[in-house]
Order: sequence, then structure tokens, then C-alpha cells
Amino acid sequence: MSTQEQNEKLELLQGTLDLLILRTLIFGPQHGQGIARAIQQTSEQELLVEHGALYPALQRLEERGWISAKWGTSSNNRKARFYSLTAGGRKQLVRETTKWNRLSQAIARILGNEPAEG
Amino acid sequence: MFRRKRKSEDFGAEIEAHLALEIERLQREQGLTQEEARAAAHRAFGNVTRAQERFYEAGRWMWWEHFWQDLRFGGRLLRKSPGFTIVAILTLALGIGANTAIFTLVDGIVLRPLPYPDSERIVHFGWMDKTLIPNLSIPEFEFLRDHAKSFSALGGFQGYGTRQLNDRGRKRWITAADVTDGFFETMGVNMQVGRPFERAFTRPGGAYGAVLADSLWRSAFGADPNIVGRQIILDGQSYTVTGVLPPGFTYLAPADAYASLHTDKNPGNGGLNTDVMGRFRRGVSLAEAQAEARLLGAEFFAQAPVEERQGAGVLHLDRYREYLASDYRTNLLILLSAVGLLLLIACANVASLLLARATARQKEISIRLALGAGRGRLLEQFLAEGLLLGGIGAAAGLATAGASLRVFVAAIPWDLPSMDRFGLDGRVLLFTSLVAIVASVAFGLASFFQTRKVDLNSTLKEGRSAAEPGRGGARLLNALVAGEVAISLVLALGAGLLVESLYNLYQQDLGFNPAHLMVMQTPFAANASGAGIWNFEREALARIQAIPGVQSVAIVSVAPLHGRMNLPAQRDGHPEDSIGGTELRTISSNYFSTMEIPFLRGRGFEQSDIGASAPVAIINETLARDWWPGQNPIGDHVVLGEYQGRQYIQIPQAAREIIGIVADTKGMLLDRPAPPMIYLPMSEGSFTFNGSTDWVVRAGAPAGIAPALRKAIADVAPEQRILDLQPMRQLVSGSVAQPNFEALLVSTFGSLALILTLVGVYGVFSFQVAQRRHEIGMRVALGASPRQIWRLIIGKAAALAAAGVLMGLLAALGLTRLMKSLLFGVQPADLATLAPLVILVMVVALLAAYVPARRAMKVDPMVALRHE
Repeated sequence: MSTQEQNEKLELLQGTLDLLILRTLIFGPQHGQGIARAIQQTSEQELLVEHGALYPALQRLEERGWISAKWGTSSNNRKARFYSLTAGGRKQLVRETTKWNRLSQAIARILGNEPAEG
Repeated sequence: MFRRKRKSEDFGAEIEAHLALEIERLQREQGLTQEEARAAAHRAFGNVTRAQERFYEAGRWMWWEHFWQDLRFGGRLLRKSPGFTIVAILTLALGIGANTAIFTLVDGIVLRPLPYPDSERIVHFGWMDKTLIPNLSIPEFEFLRDHAKSFSALGGFQGYGTRQLNDRGRKRWITAADVTDGFFETMGVNMQVGRPFERAFTRPGGAYGAVLADSLWRSAFGADPNIVGRQIILDGQSYTVTGVLPPGFTYLAPADAYASLHTDKNPGNGGLNTDVMGRFRRGVSLAEAQAEARLLGAEFFAQAPVEERQGAGVLHLDRYREYLASDYRTNLLILLSAVGLLLLIACANVASLLLARATARQKEISIRLALGAGRGRLLEQFLAEGLLLGGIGAAAGLATAGASLRVFVAAIPWDLPSMDRFGLDGRVLLFTSLVAIVASVAFGLASFFQTRKVDLNSTLKEGRSAAEPGRGGARLLNALVAGEVAISLVLALGAGLLVESLYNLYQQDLGFNPAHLMVMQTPFAANASGAGIWNFEREALARIQAIPGVQSVAIVSVAPLHGRMNLPAQRDGHPEDSIGGTELRTISSNYFSTMEIPFLRGRGFEQSDIGASAPVAIINETLARDWWPGQNPIGDHVVLGEYQGRQYIQIPQAAREIIGIVADTKGMLLDRPAPPMIYLPMSEGSFTFNGSTDWVVRAGAPAGIAPALRKAIADVAPEQRILDLQPMRQLVSGSVAQPNFEALLVSTFGSLALILTLVGVYGVFSFQVAQRRHEIGMRVALGASPRQIWRLIIGKAAALAAAGVLMGLLAALGLTRLMKSLLFGVQPADLATLAPLVILVMVVALLAAYVPARRAMKVDPMVALRHE
């Protein structure tokens, strides 16, 4: 049962988190902790990313071939796994961004036309 | 494509690295202590174990666990609907079983190399005229053997016969083949004792040699290791044993011994009667060997005396395997296509059943999707179900295959060297598994794509739409129904054409009355004299005539449908009227009356003609028409052994006066027109080169007199063998064994296809009616009559069946053309055959929809509408 709940959450989070990760990697290779930091900073701390949820997402993106990973050394000389966008990842980012924009516009239109009824 | 799977330690290390980086950052940026930073980092990360669990879930191990889960779930589902399960598994077992059996045959006959070493280098010679004449004469063989450079060995074979082995007084009957030297070298077989016989044993007038089969060596000679050089007696002739074959060697059929063939000038050697094989050297290509054979064939023609020019046209060679398979290739390909179509129907059936079920399960699937099941996970589940079904179907199919293979092999009317090797082996198992896997993956995918378009919201919100098949699903189901109808029509048409050919064959005018007729053959002993044979025959004729119940008895050198016996012949003084192979029959005086062959003109042989070597002949209608069109041949003459003005046989024959003309009878083959035929009176000096005499006995109850016939022969000649003692009807059936086999198999497949289609269409329509209850209830509530509802369902079935019939007809027009060589007296696009079968298939489809349509008529609108 608990697996089902996790899956349900994951389903809800999945699309958004994937998009954010791909978007972050557009500026170059980054390790997991760096990605988490970047998402928090660029969203001005509005989005709270549970770091633990990030890694399965990274793993999934890697399996789909949208990002690739390599162990390397961080700026302060620690071993870390660095992720970078693949060509497929770039395409996926464009697709997802377009979809996301249309979705948010659509939602915005609905919310604009039909004010909350309470 | 295949990335190495990440180990979970690597994932753990990454999490460790993350925490270390985070702790460092918190200490640096927010000035926390080591302890505070560690706590904060862990807080931000959440549950480490859970992250690792998720990683694990994504791993392969988890996939297996899911797969196992899916299999068990699939098993529960199958148990829950036993009707569906049994129909699906039986359907698959049928399709897979029949396919495996037929594939085993094709594999054994066409695909596998022959059981001889380096068998791809063995070729078979023949003369390429308009068609292939697959045999050579002995002079042609000798010319080839003495001149060909591409071959390491050449050998000839002249057929099997039963002979009496007399080894120091102990007598037994054995099967022996006559072969030339070089035969064993060509086949690439090494003797386990001794060696093959040399050329000296084939020289006319010289000694004879023999090679024994392992079984005879063991059973008759106690596996004597010093057998080489021993003299054995076969039919009174002495043979020197030169070697013993290894166990398992077979040429066309098993033989106990191979006797050396003397290459003398007997008529049998002069005609095209020898199977010639060659083994081409390493480093020589088939094309080079072929080129040399062509050249030598032309050279032989240029230098040979006219009487030795038997072969016409071009010397041709084929790989021996291909030569053997060529007769069966078309038949097997047709069987393979028929059985493949059957499998297609079986798959379509199971797919439509699964699809229908998947549609019914849409609500369940929507709920699972809403609960967060990934679509990939659902795909896995459908695949697992398909695999489970396919696996059980394959296992059941294998059992079916084992049983049906035995039936098929028993029914096969062909002699083949690889006959005893048919068995369900690993390769066949592989084929079955492949079929099962492909089929099950196809089912899985088909039912998955059906659910793929499930619209989460609408399905859940409006309960009603869950019960209606998606538009894509409905279209797929319709296509499956039409496809099944099309395929079963193709199969039914194929079967119809073969059955009609068979019927036509049975309707062939034999030219004699086969009822109440018994036949048998008495082979001559090799050392028998013409006088000895003639005395035996005369005495036996008298004794048989005296058997109570026997109306009449006659002898003939070769009975109809029982073999060939021919010589060149010419109309006397007319070299342009010559036939290289005129069928020749020597008969006793009452042959025509016994066989009830009508006389057309002139008289029959008198008792005084028989035995007196009178220079008279009777000809059949075909020969009379060929050589004397519009004229009366009676009183004119024919010369045997003469061809285009040249004498062909050793003893010149006097011209024979034609005294009568009889109606045509069939020669060797039922599906060929009667050959030109000359009858001669049986006498002491008769042609005996075919080695046996056939007996025809007319009696009220022919089968009942068999023991009396045996006794009559034994009373005259205690050691005389009797072969093929059987009613004439049986001989006639035997000659249609092959068309019978094909017609039987294809009609079986056709009937199975119709049954499967019946079940499939019934399943789809039952399902659709059940799904449309609500809609039908609504229609009834709005005033539709039961008749209109019935018409709605049957109309749809008719439309689909019509579409299927149209597709089937188009496909059949293309496919049945391939069968042309198997058909007799019927065209591939024969309207009289097509029309009833089209109607039959339509009726089957409508019948299948009838019961569901009746059910639809009885839908109670109140119940149907309230139900939701």
C-alpha cells in the first residue's frame, strides 16, 4: 500500500521535477546537490524540493537517455556524480517547456474567466 | 543502447556525496556547527532509505519481481474465466500444434542436409527437355564417368527388388538394390568392414559383387568380421561380398544388400532407367560442374550411335537434396501456408478474445492508472498475461504436434531418405516457442494499445463510457472479424479446389472395370528361363481358373497404374511415326474380357496366338489415332525396337500385323491421359525385362479369394513370391495417395479454420452485444422493434463478413494460383467451386452472430437502463 502512495505522489511530481532538472542542466553539468540548490535559488525558495526525491528522478532521466552522468570532482574537491544534458534531453526540454507553457496559459485563462466560487 | 545497470552501492555513494556537500555548504554559508549542519542536511534530504528503495524498485530485480507478480495475477484472471481460458488455449494449441508438425516435415524434407557426409556436393543428373527427365541410360552414365573431370566419383542406381538370399542352404527374402561402382564413394559412405566393389564387378560377363547392410550382416552372418570374400547366392546368382555398410545408411529406402550392376546391353540399361549421382570435387563450384555436364551431354550426343541417344536436350544437374525436395517443395509450401493461415486465425481469435476482455476491463484499468500505475507497468502486465497464455498454449500445442506428426508421417505418400529422422527436436521446439512468443507479445501489445487510449477522466466520471469499447478497440475487433472471415475463406477455397481435383481424379475413366477385380504380382527369379516362366504361368492360370468363385483370370506384364514397360516402336515403313517409349503389354488371351476393356475393332488374340509368338499385335485407341488418323490400322504393321528407321534392341523384331483396336486404359498415372499402347500375346519368347508378371482375377468377392490365390501359386511353384496382392480398387486409391494426402490435410485445416472463425465471431459479437445493452435498451425504449435490433446486429455481421469475403477472394485469387500444379481438372478461379464456399463462409459468420443477435432482441429496456 505504501508503495502505491509513493507512486501516486511521484506521478504528480514527476513531470514538474523532470522539467526543472532539465532546465537547470542547460547551464552545464551539475551534481545532485548543486541541482537542488539551483532549483531552490532560481525559484526564490518558493519551491521546496525534497532532496531525497531528486535522485530517483535523476536516475529515471538517465535511464531514458535525457541526461548522462559521470563521477567527477566538485569545486571544493569532493567526489560527486555530475549530470549533463544529452541531445535527446535538450529536445525533451523544448517539448516539455512548450507543453508546460500551454498548460499554464490554459489554466490561467480558466482561472481568469471563472473566478473562484468559494 | 544497453547501459550497464548502476549498482546500488554507487547510488549510496552519490547520496553520501550529496550529504557531505550539503553539510559543508550549510557550515560555510549559514555558520552552523558540524552537528547542526548534518541534521539540517538530513532534514532537507528526507528519508534516505526511501530514496534507496525507489532506486531499487527501478532496478532489474524489481522488474523480475513485478513480472512474477504479473504472471500470478494473470494466472488468477485466467482461472476466473475458465470459458475464455479453455477456448483461448485450445485455439493456440491447435494453431501451434499443427504448425509445429508441418514445420517438422518441411524441416526434415526441405531444410535439413541429407544424412551423407558433405552432402551439398552430391548432385543428381537428368536430361532437361521441356521438363526434367530424371534418369540416364547406362551408356550415358559410362560416358560421363569416363570423361567428367569435375567429379571425384559418379555412381548409378537402378532400383530395389526382393531377392532370395541363399547362404549355405539357409534361405530368406531380402531387399536388394542394383548399383554401379562409385555409388558408395558418391554418397560418401565408408564401409565398416572391407570396401565398396570395384569396376571389375560391373563388367558384362564378369563376376558380381555385393555390399551388405549392417542389419543383414548381423542377422544373417552373425557380424562375421571375415565376411569379405565370401560368396553369397542371390536368386541363384553368386556374389562376392566386398564390404559391410555402417549402421544407419539409407539411400531412398532401406535395403539389405547392394548388388553390382552389370553394364551390359540389356534393354533396361539402354533406356533411361538409371539414377545417376555425382560428387563434385572440392574447389569446383556447382556452376562449373553444371557447365562441364552440359558440354559432356552435347559431346555424348555428337559421338554416340543413334540407338544410344536416349536423352533429349541438355544434360542437367541439381544438388541431390534439391532434386529430392523438388517434388515435394510445392506441396509442402502449400501445407506450410495453409497451416500458417490457420495459426493467423488462431492468433486473431485469441487476440479478439483478449481485446474484448481488455475493453471490459477498462474501468479496472482506469482505476489503476488513477492510483498511479505507470503505463509501462500496465504494458508489462499485459505482456505477462500474453506470455502465460502463449506458454500454456505452446505446451498444449507441443503435445498436439507430437500426436498429429505421427498421423501426418503415416499418411505421407513419399519415400524419402530422411523419413525416419522426423522427430520433434530442439529446432522444432525453438520454432514453437518462437511462434508462442511472437503470438503472445502480439496479443499483449494488441490489448495494451486498446487500453492506451483510455481517457482517465471520462471513463471514471461517466460509468457508461467504460462499458463501451473505445473507438479504436471496436475498429480493431471489426478488423479481426473481417480478417478471420477472409483467411478462412482462403483456406476453404484451397481445400475446395484440392477436394474437387481429387474428385475429378476418382472420376477418371480408367478404361476398365475395377470392381470385383483382384491383382497380384509374381516377380521372376533372376535365373528363370523364358520357358520356365511360361510353364509356371500356364499352370497357375489353370489352377486359379479352377478356384470356386473365380470368373476369369488373365496375366499382363504390367497392370494399369502398376508400373511402366516401354520400348521404342514405329509404324512399319513410316519412320515419321515413331515413339521412343511406346507402352508395351504382353497379355494372355482373355485379358480384355477379364478387365472388361471394350473392343473397338478387329479381333482379340486367339488361343492359338498365345504361346506361339505369332507376329500379331493389338493397339489402343490413342495409338491408332496418332499413327492412322482417319484410317483403318487393321492389317497394317508395327515394328518393336525400331525408332525413326533405326533398330534399337539387340534381337531384331519382325513387323507385327495389327489385328485389333481396344479402348484406352490408364498407364502408370491416373492424372495423365492414356499413353499409346501395344499389346502382344504372352508367349515363351515374351519380353520379360520388366522382371515380373501381373495377374488380374475377376471374382464375386475378390478379397475373399486371396488365400486361395496364394495356395494356387504355391502349388505350382513353392518358392514363387507374391507381391502386391490386393483388390484393384485399392491399387487405384493408392495412385491418388498424394492428392488424397493434400486434400485431407488442407480440408482439415480449412474445417478447423471455419470452426475457429465461428468461435471467434461468436465471441466478438456476444461481447459487443453485452457491451451495448444500455444502448440497445435505449433503442427499445424509444420504440425500436426486436426485429430492428436483430437486424442491427446481423446487419453488422453481414457487413463485416462481406468485407472479409471480398478480402479473402482477392487473396485467394493470388494464392490459389500457386496451387496450379496440384490441381486436376479444375481452374484456380473456378466459379463453381468459389460460389458455394463463399456462401458457406458467409453462413458460418452469420450463424456465429445469430445467437448474440437473438440475445440482443431479448434485452429488457427497464433492466438495461436501470443497470447503470
